[in-house]
Amino acid sequence: MAYRNIKITKGADGFGGPLIIEPTETRNKVLCVTGQTISPVAKKIAEMTGCELVDGFSTTVPDEQVAVAVVNCGGTARCGVYPRKKILTVNVEPVGAVGPLAQYITPDLYVSDVKESNLSYTDESAASAATVSADNQPKTKEEAKQEVAAAQEGQKQNLVTRIGVGVGHVVNKFFAAGRDSIDMVIRNILPFMAFTSTLLGIIQASGLGNVIANTISPFCSTLPGMILISFICGLPFLSPILGPGAVIAQVVGTLLGAEIAKGNIPAQYALPALFAINAQVGCDFIPVGLSLAEAEPETIEMGVPAVLYSRVITGPLAVVVAYLFSFGLF
Amino acid sequence: MDIITNIAQGFIGWFTTGGETFTGWVTNIIPQIVCLLTFMNSIIKLVGEEKVERTAQKFTKYALLRYTIFPMLALLFLANPMGYSLGRFLDEKYKPAYFDAFAAFAHPVTGLFPHANAGELFVYMGIAQGLQQAGYELGGLAVRYFIVGLIVALFRGVITEKIYFHLTKADD
Repeated sequence: MAYRNIKITKGADGFGGPLIIEPTETRNKVLCVTGQTISPVAKKIAEMTGCELVDGFSTTVPDEQVAVAVVNCGGTARCGVYPRKKILTVNVEPVGAVGPLAQYITPDLYVSDVKESNLSYTDESAASAATVSADNQPKTKEEAKQEVAAAQEGQKQNLVTRIGVGVGHVVNKFFAAGRDSIDMVIRNILPFMAFTSTLLGIIQASGLGNVIANTISPFCSTLPGMILISFICGLPFLSPILGPGAVIAQVVGTLLGAEIAKGNIPAQYALPALFAINAQVGCDFIPVGLSLAEAEPETIEMGVPAVLYSRVITGPLAVVVAYLFSFGLF
Repeated sequence: MDIITNIAQGFIGWFTTGGETFTGWVTNIIPQIVCLLTFMNSIIKLVGEEKVERTAQKFTKYALLRYTIFPMLALLFLANPMGYSLGRFLDEKYKPAYFDAFAAFAHPVTGLFPHANAGELFVYMGIAQGLQQAGYELGGLAVRYFIVGLIVALFRGVITEKIYFHLTKADD
């Protein structure tokens, strides 16, 4: 039996990889640990590589014979167990380096959210030739009948299991969503709260707050003052400096909020103020954002000044529009 | 000795004020945000990125949709910063304008859908918290922020597009 090398990349929400599976005479099993049913991904891997497919729930094989393990783990144990043993692991669920064994889940051993479309031969040309020749072989009637029967049989057997797998799939997604939320709170929201509340505490307790109230508040209580702020924030040489992480806009927003709470800035100026302090939004990020959009280097070269110049006009314009929309708000 | 004690107490006092603010934010903001984030993240995972991409591509043809609905879908389903990547479905000459429209909407979206830019909530949240303390309802502000955000995204897109064309002498 000739073995073939394949490449497995991560899916849209996946992590890790790409993995190259290189089966040998001794290391030639695809271990499928996906519960009652064999995952179609495992089947396809076995088909493509020429390895033997082994259901990990009914039999076991020595670790050194496993070319790759396929799991459907929501992030508790299985996804870490195989990487820990240095076995290449494919997870069909979109799970990153999490769970109690998270430290073993590394991109060189692990890839997740894998679907059949993520599998490819390492030598692409030969692969397409092979599939073409296979398709061209006319099927005998017997074979076709057998295939249909096999497919139907599979469906009947799996109805209950399928519901189970479907429910499990949805629950896994909810669980992953919860983990993402908590992750976001811990990584971004809480640290910002810690830093800003400390800063606010110092400003309020030290009397600096009164200085701000007396100097900045008047600007934020008139339309011309806010247009001026947005114009300054949008100046092409200032906006990229003011941009990063929206930290400045967020701190200023919080300070203005405190002034609004105290009544130093009228509430109806909240909406235009949101735009006045944020004319610089994203200006630090233009080249990165454009390369995320797969823009050519020439586009980025001229795109950066285009956005920066545009802000000088659109910054104040945004404040005016917001001002008009704030009538009747409070 | 009294002077030192007073200074020390004043110093600690600064952080007591900060701590109270912090506790207020954690108990008022985080529980709601966590549930909302989880709900929206679940929907995004259930819908799947490919479907969003296929739908979003239908809104790229006209400037009116390209700089409003298109970045809105990008933010709601891919969030900041990955939503920028939907720009790859646009003609090369529209990419800088799409960037600008997306960035313009990246904060106005957070009033109603904080998951879209959860790392930068306090542009809106900072001001909103102040209003809440002063006894105002936030619903109206969030909705208007969203609508004005879309309008700003539209004219940022259109104006940046014009400036870019001017800079590159490209044809419209």
